[in-house]
Amino acid sequence: MSLSENNSVVFAYESSVHSTNVLLSLDDQRKQDILCDVTILVEDQRFRAHKAVLAACSSYFLSRIVGQVDADLIITLPEEVTLKGFSPLLQFAYTAKLVLNKDNVSEVCKCAEFLGVRNIEESCFQFLKFRFLDYKLDQQECPRKKCCTQRCQKANPKTGSADDGDLEINDEVEALLEKEYSQIPDTTPCKDEENAKSSPVLQDNSNQNCDPVHLERGSASSLSSQCPKYRKFQKAFGNDKVHTSESNSSIKDVQVPPFAASLEKEIPDNDGVQKAQECVPMQLISNCEETQVEMEDGEEGIQKKEESKRDSITRNVLCPVEKMDLAGFPQNSAASHGPNSVSILHSCEQYGNLNFSSMQNSTVLAEKTVSSSGAGNDKTESQGNPSSKVDLCIREATNITSAGDRSSVEREIAEQLAQGFWSDIHSTDACQIHVPSAVPKEYLESAYSGKKSECPWLGIRISESPEPCSQRTFTTLNSVNCPFISNLGTEGCSNTSEINSGDYVQGQQQEQCPYNYVISLGEDSETDTEGDSESCSAREQECEVKLPFNAQRIISLSRNDFQSFLKMHKLTPEQLDCIHDIRRRSKNRIAAQRCRKRKLDCIQNLESEIEKLQNEKENLLKERNHILSTLGETKQNLTGLCQQV
Amino acid sequence: MESAAKGGYVLANLAEVVERVLGFLPTKALLRAACVCRLWRECARRTLRTRQRIAWVSALEPGPAENHALVRALARELEKVHVLPQTVLYIADAETFSGHEECHEQKKARKRNSKETALALEKLLPKRCQVLGLVTPGIVVTPMGSSSNQPQEIEEGEAGFALLFPKIDGVKIHTFHFSKDMKNRVFDESKFAEAGLKNNPDLRVVLLFGYNSWKTGATRFLHQIVNPLNEKSIILAGGQVESFTSLTSENNHAQPGDACGVVGLAFSGPQIQSATVLLDQDVADERTAEAAMQRLKAANIPEHNTIGFMFACVGRGYRHYKTKRNMEADAFRKFFPNVPLFGFFGHGEIGCDRIVTGNFVLRECNDIKDDLLHGYTTVMTLIHLGSTKANQA
Repeated sequence: MSLSENNSVVFAYESSVHSTNVLLSLDDQRKQDILCDVTILVEDQRFRAHKAVLAACSSYFLSRIVGQVDADLIITLPEEVTLKGFSPLLQFAYTAKLVLNKDNVSEVCKCAEFLGVRNIEESCFQFLKFRFLDYKLDQQECPRKKCCTQRCQKANPKTGSADDGDLEINDEVEALLEKEYSQIPDTTPCKDEENAKSSPVLQDNSNQNCDPVHLERGSASSLSSQCPKYRKFQKAFGNDKVHTSESNSSIKDVQVPPFAASLEKEIPDNDGVQKAQECVPMQLISNCEETQVEMEDGEEGIQKKEESKRDSITRNVLCPVEKMDLAGFPQNSAASHGPNSVSILHSCEQYGNLNFSSMQNSTVLAEKTVSSSGAGNDKTESQGNPSSKVDLCIREATNITSAGDRSSVEREIAEQLAQGFWSDIHSTDACQIHVPSAVPKEYLESAYSGKKSECPWLGIRISESPEPCSQRTFTTLNSVNCPFISNLGTEGCSNTSEINSGDYVQGQQQEQCPYNYVISLGEDSETDTEGDSESCSAREQECEVKLPFNAQRIISLSRNDFQSFLKMHKLTPEQLDCIHDIRRRSKNRIAAQRCRKRKLDCIQNLESEIEKLQNEKENLLKERNHILSTLGETKQNLTGLCQQV
Repeated sequence: MESAAKGGYVLANLAEVVERVLGFLPTKALLRAACVCRLWRECARRTLRTRQRIAWVSALEPGPAENHALVRALARELEKVHVLPQTVLYIADAETFSGHEECHEQKKARKRNSKETALALEKLLPKRCQVLGLVTPGIVVTPMGSSSNQPQEIEEGEAGFALLFPKIDGVKIHTFHFSKDMKNRVFDESKFAEAGLKNNPDLRVVLLFGYNSWKTGATRFLHQIVNPLNEKSIILAGGQVESFTSLTSENNHAQPGDACGVVGLAFSGPQIQSATVLLDQDVADERTAEAAMQRLKAANIPEHNTIGFMFACVGRGYRHYKTKRNMEADAFRKFFPNVPLFGFFGHGEIGCDRIVTGNFVLRECNDIKDDLLHGYTTVMTLIHLGSTKANQA
């Protein structure tokens, strides 16, 4: 009885690897085209597969395949299914592994949905989308946002990237602009005023000198066609003239003669104007080559000319301005702010009689700046006097912050900045005035290099060759959030700026060199608040030599960038280790610095607390003494009373 | 009199009634009640078995100086908790853990004192419970009571929390400890197997905490631990802590030595789901932090019976967010209104972007070695320990 019971017991053998192995061998079969009985056509590419597998994995294929009797079925997938999205899914059907990256994630998601692929959870697509979206945001907007609120050194990396000249960055800027304007609508009224002032002049100019304007307009519009966001934003604001002044600067070179004329018209009583006019043609020549290059850029895109609409220029201002920046007019102060111009008007009356050299210098600027706007003209006069230097610096600063995003906050910072470096500017400018016969161009550059070394902590590294049209390489410390890192960066930066100033400064400019050096070095020592930045150990440097890129980049890249960057380069394991090491060490350094800072703060707090407590103690002691004395008095009184009794 | 007799009869014979009554008692009282009679003991046992939710004790405000706030809070709250802790993870801030008076004295005095504090904590907990205690520069803690309380980032000041894990069906939690052996340069793989980190197909989440990481070779050692684990489909999260103060389990009772090492908790069980995201240093304002949380949310981890961990760098916190306090914790709360969040500010983080559930694993696949050790980042991790209903069924 019991025996027979035992015999009837059933055992079950379960293999945990069977399913995987079956899938593996099916995948092998697919690769070798064994037993494949269906062909799938996606965007003209053929995939061989097994009916059974496809039907098991996807409800779409199940419905397409069931009922078909063809021995060798060909399924053409509709347009919704793309090659990019389908091939990972086919891979998944045979390997249970889906390879997703930034490029294909959305397509794969769509295709998976369309094909009804089983066992893929929506959440992973969501996760990745956020990841990649986030990644983009990190790259573009996050450092930007920072700049407008707190750190102006962040501003510079941006110009650096803008200077690289790819249009993506323009887009970025506009996206940011959009945001910023919505944040600070109160800055617009002042610009309106100014635009109202400058636009008639502009009209004048365009009438007098139609063709070049068209040309510029064309280029402007072609540029702007790549920036739909920006345009939309402008429309939304209903104020298309926000950047009139900047637009003028884009037309500047072509319009120099009319500008001179308007100059004459506007301020005939100014004795400097004639001189300005004299030097304008000179300038024209020197700048012509550069504009030519730009115009060629622009001409490619000239299709539509919106002559009647002045605002089309204004709308498109930003891009040309940036272009100008690329072409190496760092000085072209894009923004002529209402208040500034007013103040300059005053100063201009006072300092009307300037010597020729300073005039020359300023006309260069004038030309660069908003040539046709009245405000711009005024500015030129006052360039020599100290009060305008602040303006100059402001303008430069605003310019640096991608010529457009001049939030009130930023302007404030720029102003502070300018005031902070007042003396430095003064010295360099004074130096220029002493050298009257130099070519204006050189002035400009020297002034710029001076300025650059004034603000080395802005974090830009510019290596620029003396030729106006040659390529410039701007290395940015873009995605770096931490001020300490940018300090590290500026170490290199100030070095390069020194070198650069050495490059520019030729002939008479030599005597300016000491200034530059002194200034840059001074700044350097200020920025290096901690000795750590020097501590790039010998080993690190040694490694750096062996690497195909420098350590700054390793440190400055964000994590995602860094990984893709490493992928780009084929590196040996030692190099990889070294890079990781460098990166980690620098990050640690930053963390340590922060930590130290906190501790210091803590100590400070405690010290103040101690002080407070000591004061309190003193007070209490005093009180005690007082009480004791009153006690004594009372006792005496008491004894007196006792005696009386 | 008669009614009292009736009541006595009911409470001594009707298991349903007794069970219902006992169900309202906190664990300690329940255990005392279990001593009354056989029926009550049975009922208490059954009741205890159903209590599988995680509980926690948090100490936020400093009090009288003789003890750390966490010791007092734990002593008080352990009377009220409804779970029987089997595994406890407590983290306290390093500054005050050793006690106030001794702070200005010599280092030795401090050490001894922190040991005392740890002992006091361990004493409060049940004997058979495994305890992992850490001290860190800063604490992230959700106040007691509801799991939807606003989590607090406390970067300075006296704070601490203790997470009490009961015995959860289908989830195994164990502690492990590896310390660097001065003689052996090569890490012994067999230790992994001992710790249950190898040949364990159900392993889902490993929380790793390195200590004495400033020692030379600590990073290399940590890599030796992390890299083999990283090859598996598990979530790795954690950070570098100041030190660990207690580690007790059935068979070992470790003390931190002078060498560097790693302590940790391993969660294994097929029902565990977990996701983690890394907020790197680009994440520096509200928007980006929320974007990262959105990413974590998109992982679609169930929110009940789930705890959140946040391991941040000491360099982050309010200074990193331009003096906005509690940014990351607030962002977390915004997207996960009912998940308690715990964590610390440490000296380095371990983590990545990854999702692990029973059905699938989503991980980065890089040709280059996936680096898990970071600095100046925050790691946010969600661990879902299975649905409680399924456990009760």
